[in-house]
Formats: sequence, structure tokens, C-alpha cells
Amino acid sequence: MDSRFWSAFGNWQTIVLDLALLLGTCLFLKLPKEKKGDSAYWLPFLILSYIAIYQNFGAYTNYNYEFKKAVNAYLGNTENPKFNLWLFNIAERQILAILYLLLIKSWLGPSMKKYVDWMIMIFVAVALTLQISGIELMYTEQPIIFAIGANMILVACGLYFIGLITNENYLQSQPTRLLSFWGTTVLLFYFSLTYIYAVTLLYLYRENLTLGKSLANIKYVMQVIKLCMLLLLIAAPFLTKFFDREPLHDPA
Amino acid sequence: MTETESQVLLILFGGIFFAILMTLFVVGVVLIHRQRQAKNRQKIAQLQAEFEKTILNVENEIQQETLAQVGRELHDNIGQLLSLTKLNLNSSKPEKQQEAKGYVNQVIKEVRALSKTLNLDWVESLSLDEFITQQLERVQATGFCETSLQSDQSFAELKKEEKLVLIRVIQESLNNAIKHAEPNHIQVRIHRQGPSRILEIADDGLGFDSSQKSSGSGMHNLHKRMETIGGKCSVSSSPGEGTSIRIELPV
Repeated sequence: MDSRFWSAFGNWQTIVLDLALLLGTCLFLKLPKEKKGDSAYWLPFLILSYIAIYQNFGAYTNYNYEFKKAVNAYLGNTENPKFNLWLFNIAERQILAILYLLLIKSWLGPSMKKYVDWMIMIFVAVALTLQISGIELMYTEQPIIFAIGANMILVACGLYFIGLITNENYLQSQPTRLLSFWGTTVLLFYFSLTYIYAVTLLYLYRENLTLGKSLANIKYVMQVIKLCMLLLLIAAPFLTKFFDREPLHDPA
Repeated sequence: MTETESQVLLILFGGIFFAILMTLFVVGVVLIHRQRQAKNRQKIAQLQAEFEKTILNVENEIQQETLAQVGRELHDNIGQLLSLTKLNLNSSKPEKQQEAKGYVNQVIKEVRALSKTLNLDWVESLSLDEFITQQLERVQATGFCETSLQSDQSFAELKKEEKLVLIRVIQESLNNAIKHAEPNHIQVRIHRQGPSRILEIADDGLGFDSSQKSSGSGMHNLHKRMETIGGKCSVSSSPGEGTSIRIELPV
């Protein structure tokens, strides 16, 4: 294997992600059959697998320059054939945002679920409209789509917290012993901090590279925390000593 | 400080401020949740105390009712039997002596039966249908009015507290019908309706305008008592058309 392969796949983020996928797969396979069919467990596993697949695919596009160039050319981007922003836009800013919304939706009460359904429908419609109309091209920065997706996830997190202090089913539970609480908190912090990172990154790289890199590291650390969270969600049936059952998902 | 430096600082402090704000928000949510839990625990304790008080009241009332009934039995039944026994024992005829022996045996039986009613153990051994049958037979035995019972045994399985409350509510309803309604017929119907068990006590007596708020506490007590065991109680009546009391308890 040549050095290009190692520079594409050998960075610590990809290695951590691949290890997380391996561990997540082992945990998921160990789950009882009925739990495997439960969205509370397969959805975090799906998200984890999806992140690992698209990140590795992103690494592959960096390894196979000709392939990346061909895709860019197909999408109409001949100016910057080295960019793989199209993959980041579709995989992370659009599909992953929808998957996170679905994950938060699985923790909400029935009355709140419909709001998330509406948010997903509006998000898909707006993202498609912006891309088809050419306002935000697939291979360039998509600040509007990112902002809408991140805001919707923050609103969905807000809905979860409102449910936590208003829904009677949560009265018998300690929030700190609920994985849904930690999951929502991690997503809330991840998207609010990523928001600042996304808004200021280009400016900081230009004006203060050291701070820009430090801010980028915050995002990577948050990503690792997010991966740990997904692993904990998959492993929840083995961690009954530390976490309680979800009052809205598994009624007594 | 240059403009760039001040902008970098703004971003830095803005980010830190944002992170602190998020932390405060999450901690705030947890604190509000804890407060709500504390209030809920207080409410549950209050409801539990109310429930226990209601059950205690119901037990007292049933015991009082039982004592009154024992008093009536002693006066009307056992007293009469003992008087007859005395009369027969005063006679020198052997057949009268034999008859007196029979009366004594009957008195022993009656006293044994009565002694069983003095504590509330009978509540557990008796089904609700059996209790209603006894009550209706007693009403009918007075010659006051005709009675009937239709039951699909929906109330066969009850917790002791539920049974106590229902017994008291039924006693109260029947007493009200006898005292105020002057009915010719009292009908009790027990049946299941979806997730609920229904007990209806209907009479063809004088009735009253149930749309008008009652000044007494009787009906209010029935409602409150049924609420303590998770049930409902409703009354429908109109002048001259009798009264129907509907008691509902989830399965």
C-alpha cells in the first residue's frame, strides 16, 4: 500500500471511526433478536454505520483522485476537482441531519413527533429546491441548508427538553440516568458548537490559523463524544446498572 | 488591539458564552424536572393519605352499618327466638321442650352467623354479587319493594379496598332509595362495557331533578369515594321517573 493510501485512511479520525463501527457491530450482533428490530437500537447502529461508510468513502475519494475528478466533472465542478464537498453536503449536511432528526423523534412523545415529521418534510423540500434551482450547488459550500438542518436539530432537542419537563411519563425517571437525555445533550452541544465553527472557520483560517485549528479540534472531539454516545445507545440493554429504561419508548 | 484580534476574541468569547448558555440550559432543565418530581411526590403522598383516610372512613361506616344490623337482628330475630324458647321451656309438655331445643339450636346458628359479621373478614370471603344479593333480599324481606339483580360477574375480581368502597357506595345508594324514593322496584345491573365494569342501581321511585346542584354531601361523597379507587359515579334522575346511579370501574 502506498503513502497516499495511508494519508487518506490513516488519520486518527478515520481509525477511531472504524474502531467504533467494529465495536458497534459486535454490540449490535450481541443484542437479543427482539432488540435488533427495535428502532431505539438499530437507528443508532444505522447512523454509526452510515457515518463510517461515508467517511471512508470520503477518504477513498481523496485516495482515488481520478474518481473524485470524474464525479466533480459530472456535477459540473471543473474549477476545483480536488474538492469532495459534494459528498460532505449530501452525506453529512443533508442525510445525516435527517437521521439525527429521526433519532430525536424516537425519544419524543406522540404529540411532539408530528413536529419533527414536518421539520423533515420541510428540510427535504427546501434542500431539494435550493439545489435544483442552483442557489446552493451540490459541490460548493451550502450554508443555508446547513443552517436549516442544524437549527431544526436544535429545535428538536428543545422539544425533547420541553417534553422532559412537561410529560408525566418522565416523572418517575432521573434525567441523568436516561440515555436519551445524554444523547440529546450531546447533539445540542455538537450542533451549537459546530454552528460557531462552521460560521467562523474560513475567517479564522485566514486571520488566525492556530485558533482556527483549535476550533476544528473541538469539532473532532465532539465527533468522538458523539460516536461514544451512539455506541452507548446500541449497548443500552447491557448497561441497565447505569441507565434506566426510556419511559416513552419502553412503557413498563 | 487590532480589528482582527478583537474579532478573534469576539468569536472566542462568543463561543465560550454560547457553551456556558447551553450548559445552563441543560442544568436548568434538570433542576426544573427535579422540582416537578418533588411536587409530584408530595401530591402522591397527599393522594395516598386521602385514599387511606377514605378507606378508614368506609370501614368505620360499614362497621356502624353492621352494628345497626346486628342490633336489629338481635331485637327482631334472636330476641323473638329466645322469647319463644322461654315460653316453650315454661311449658311442661315434652314436645314444647323439644321445640325449645330446636329454637336454641337456631339461636346458636344465628349468633354464629352474626358474630362473623362483626369484623370485616366477611368482606374478603363474600363476592360483590353475593353481597348485593344479601342486601336486596334484606330489602325485599321488609316488604318495602321488589328487587332484582342481573349480573355477568364483571366485579368478581376486586381488590379489598375496591370492594370496601363499592360495598359502602351500594349500601349508601340502597339506603337513599329506601329513605327518599319510595320505589316499587329496585334493579341492580352489572355488566361490562369495553374497558369498564358498570354497576347500575335503578329505582322507579319519586326521583328528583338531578340537573340541580344538591345541598347534601351524600352524592359528593359517592363521587369522591369512587375517585379514590379510580372509578366514576354518575346519577341521572328526573321527578316522577325514578333514579339511576351508574358506578363505573376500569377493568
